[in-house]
Amino acid sequence: MAQFNLPQNSKIEVGKFFKDKTNSANLRKINIYRWDPSNGKNPRVDTFEVDMDNCGPKVLDILIKIKNEIDPSLTFRRSCAHGVCGSCAMNIDGVNNLACIKSHTDINGDLNIYPLPHLKVIKDLIGDLSTLYKQYESIQPWLKGGQTEKEVEEIKQSQKDREKLDGYYECILCACCSTSCPSYWWNGDKYLGPAVLLQAYRWINDSRDNDKKERLKKVADELKLYRCHTIMNCTNSCPKGLNPAKAISSIKKMLATS
Amino acid sequence: MIEKDQNPLSPHLQIYKWQISSLLSITHRIVGVINILAITLICFWIISLLFGENTYETVKVLLNSFLGKFLIIFLCWTFSFHILNEIRHLAWDLGYGFDLKIAKITGILVFIFSFILTVIFYLIGRNLI
Repeated sequence: MAQFNLPQNSKIEVGKFFKDKTNSANLRKINIYRWDPSNGKNPRVDTFEVDMDNCGPKVLDILIKIKNEIDPSLTFRRSCAHGVCGSCAMNIDGVNNLACIKSHTDINGDLNIYPLPHLKVIKDLIGDLSTLYKQYESIQPWLKGGQTEKEVEEIKQSQKDREKLDGYYECILCACCSTSCPSYWWNGDKYLGPAVLLQAYRWINDSRDNDKKERLKKVADELKLYRCHTIMNCTNSCPKGLNPAKAISSIKKMLATS
Repeated sequence: MIEKDQNPLSPHLQIYKWQISSLLSITHRIVGVINILAITLICFWIISLLFGENTYETVKVLLNSFLGKFLIIFLCWTFSFHILNEIRHLAWDLGYGFDLKIAKITGILVFIFSFILTVIFYLIGRNLI
C-alpha cells in the first residue's frame, strides 16, 4: 500500500531566513529545500531574499547566485546549463523541470524549489537516482543481435526508419518524468517508470536492433509496464517536450497486436 | 556508501502541482469505486421489490427526499464522468490523443460534458424528455 505521508524523518521544518544585504529594490523570496546529512536533523526549507536586478533569467542563475553570494553550502547538481545534460532536474514551483532552461520570470510569487519528488535525498537538492539507473540497465540500452565479430560494416538504416526514433532518442534521462509519476512514487521499486519505458521503446523501435521480441517479452509485465495509468504527469513535465505516455502506450499496443 | 535509512524522502504529493490530466485520472479512479458501490445499491433496490409494495413505497419516499435526490443526481454525474473519461482512455489505448494540447482539451471537454450528460440522464430518468 502506498504511503501518502512523508516518514517521520522526512517531515519538513521551517528553516533559516537569509535577509537581503544589497538593499536592492527588486527582491524575490526563494524557498529552497535543504537537508544536511551531517547533523541528523530533519529537512528544512530556507528562504533567501535575492536581488533580481543582478541575476540571470533562469532558475539555475538564482541557485548559482545564492551559492556564490549568500550560502556556499547550498548543494545541487548542474553541468551544461543549457538543457542538454539533465543534471539540474528539480521540482520548480511544483513541477519537475531543468533549472537551466526554466525561466523564473514565468513564475509568479515566491519561488519554491525542491528536489525531484519521492527520492532518497543525498543532500539539499540532490536525490538518489540509483534505482532508476539500475532499471535503465535492465532494459539493455544498446544495439543487440545480428552482428558477428567478423563483420565490420556499418549497419545501415533508411531515413524512414531513422525518423521512427524522433521524439525518443532526444531523451537525456534527467528523470523529470519518472519522478513526476504517482505510479512511480508508489511502485518505484517494480514499475520501470516513464523514462526507462521511453528508452525501452526507443530500442524496440530501432530497425537495426534484432532483439525486438525478447525486449517486448521482457517488458510485458503487470508491474514493470502496466502500472502506467495514463496520468500524463510525465508528458506534462518533460523539459525536452517528449511524450513518454505515448511511448508507453505504443509498447502496450505492440504487445496487444503482436 | 550512503546510509539509505537515514536519508529523508523528498516530498511528493505534498508539493507536486496538480495537472488537469492527473486530477481527472484520480477522479476517474474514485468515481469508478463509487460506481461499483452504486451498482451494488441498485441491485439491492431491485431485490427489495421482492418484498412487496410496502418496501417499494418506502424506498420511493427515501429516494424522493432531498438527500435521495442529491444521491441520484450525484450518481448520474459519477456515471456520466466515468463513461466520458473512459472513451478518452479507449482512444489512448488505440494510440490517439496523446498530444499534450489535445489531452488537455479532451480533459476539459470530459469535465464540461459530464455535467450536461448528468442533466440529460436526470431528465430522461424523470420522463421529462
